[in-house]
Amino acid sequence: MENKYNLKSPAVKRLMKEAAELREPTEHYHAQPLEDNLFEWHFSVRGPPDSDFDGGIYHGRIVLPPEYPMKPPSIILLTPNGRFEVGKKICLSISGHHPETWQPSWSIRTALIAIIGFMPTKGEGAIGSLDYTPEERRALAKKSQDFCCEMCGCSMRTALLALSPNSDHRPADPQAQQLAQQINFKAESSTSGASRDKASETDRQNDGEESSTSGGQNEERVAQAEQIETAPAPAGEAAPVPAAPPTSRPLSPRQRRAQNQNRQQNQPLRRPTFPAFPAAAAQPDGSHTGSAVLIVLLSLALAALVFRRIYLAQEYKFDYEL
Amino acid sequence: KMADEQQETSQGEMESECVNCLAYDEAIMAQQDRIQQEIATSNPLVSDRQDLSVLHGEYAEEDTIYQLKIKDLHKKYSYIRKTRPDGNCFYRAFGFSHLESLLDDSKELQKFKAVAAKSKLDLVNQGFTEFTIEDFHNTFMDLIELCEKQPALAELLGSFNDQSVSDYVVVYLRLLTSGYLQREHTFFHHFIEGGRSVKEFCQQEVEPMSKESDHIHIIALAQALNVPILVEYMDRGEGGTVNHHVFPEGSEPRIFLLYRPGHYDILYK
Repeated sequence: MENKYNLKSPAVKRLMKEAAELREPTEHYHAQPLEDNLFEWHFSVRGPPDSDFDGGIYHGRIVLPPEYPMKPPSIILLTPNGRFEVGKKICLSISGHHPETWQPSWSIRTALIAIIGFMPTKGEGAIGSLDYTPEERRALAKKSQDFCCEMCGCSMRTALLALSPNSDHRPADPQAQQLAQQINFKAESSTSGASRDKASETDRQNDGEESSTSGGQNEERVAQAEQIETAPAPAGEAAPVPAAPPTSRPLSPRQRRAQNQNRQQNQPLRRPTFPAFPAAAAQPDGSHTGSAVLIVLLSLALAALVFRRIYLAQEYKFDYEL
Repeated sequence: KMADEQQETSQGEMESECVNCLAYDEAIMAQQDRIQQEIATSNPLVSDRQDLSVLHGEYAEEDTIYQLKIKDLHKKYSYIRKTRPDGNCFYRAFGFSHLESLLDDSKELQKFKAVAAKSKLDLVNQGFTEFTIEDFHNTFMDLIELCEKQPALAELLGSFNDQSVSDYVVVYLRLLTSGYLQREHTFFHHFIEGGRSVKEFCQQEVEPMSKESDHIHIIALAQALNVPILVEYMDRGEGGTVNHHVFPEGSEPRIFLLYRPGHYDILYK
């Protein structure tokens, strides 16, 4: 690998260092670049203990931009986990979704700790987030051990060092905790896209962005903005951007805590106390069907409009000729 | 009616495209990149030194408030060097201006080199990860060593216009600012709004690139490196004169910056 890259490139220099630093798996995380690409890494993280992810080991990709570490990495989970969508870039303030909060002194290790710390937090409709029930997450945690990555050949059973009974239960000190809190805070406050500064250049830039309407993506964005603003329109509901997670999916923290306590305290009650489970399990599919139906409806409406237009135009022409 | 229809069409298209919403996110990011690029092509990171009178042309003639203030500025300064308005301008202006002033002051340069050399250790002792900050520190030290060789000014200017070198210096100056604020958090937490801790403030407003600088950043960096800074404030306020502020108060300033809302440039006597 050494010969392939320009060692003077700051990104290469930095990534080589990080690869060396992360070479040995720890009990909680491990990440290494792919053999043929220093800018794509695969990682494995242990689900945090005392959470629904306890016992799970999750695998994913990290894609580094050429400007790394000036620009943030993108993080993509590959193991189904019930917290982050599989195959989609995760929306963490530490990831490529919020380049404005990334700090160049953070590293891939920071990102791994952030993922672990972020897992037990609520998804709350953020991009790439899921709010599965504890049961589903536990089932996925158990199943996650069977995962084997085709790309890097890594098996989850052997990806990390085994937890020893006297080992530290936290992936990395209070730092992880703190980081997770900060990230949580950020993710909540910026679900509606780019966060804004006060009276600043950023604002001026944003203004420029809104006033200049050349280029396709520009129009797209304007259209999107309108869509969001006209919330009552059906289009608004189907757009997954900042829309609240549909119906019964998220449980309030109190409900969830109550459920957790119930489960821990009296096992026999387990089954009867969760009537909501099957419904919630069907949820992800349900929401897909929902949006599919909406799309069909909208296309029909569009078709109707187009036909009306043609009809009107023709009528007009007839009138004229007659 | 046509417009209505077009709108609906585009919404319909958006709808199907945006089933995967990343398209939206990436469009915004691509657009931000484009804006950054536009700014970049029209403004070098650090410009050549220009006559101060260029400022007159930036405001309308009938804009008396600014025209009067520019005249007032002329009483004290003759030249200006502009920096790119990318949110990092304070750090870049500070870094360049200070190293430039050290080119022909080797005694001061040696003092500064010692402070800069030791600064990494302070950060590491505070809990910053060594291997992530050392590249930034090395770049900063390389530039100081470049100055020791008393190169042509163009060489220093070239380094500051090399995006990766220049940004690494900005990162390190941001880290120094953050480190100083956190070391002195008992003092600085009084000045932070929004109920945030000093650490949170640093992680949100100091360390990320492109976050703009305020008094608190300036005083911290000035003290962290022991380089007093004078800032001339030019805004829409009445009075016809430009007010200035020295950080830390009462010291003899080594570098002079011009502040206009949202932006810092370098001033020369």
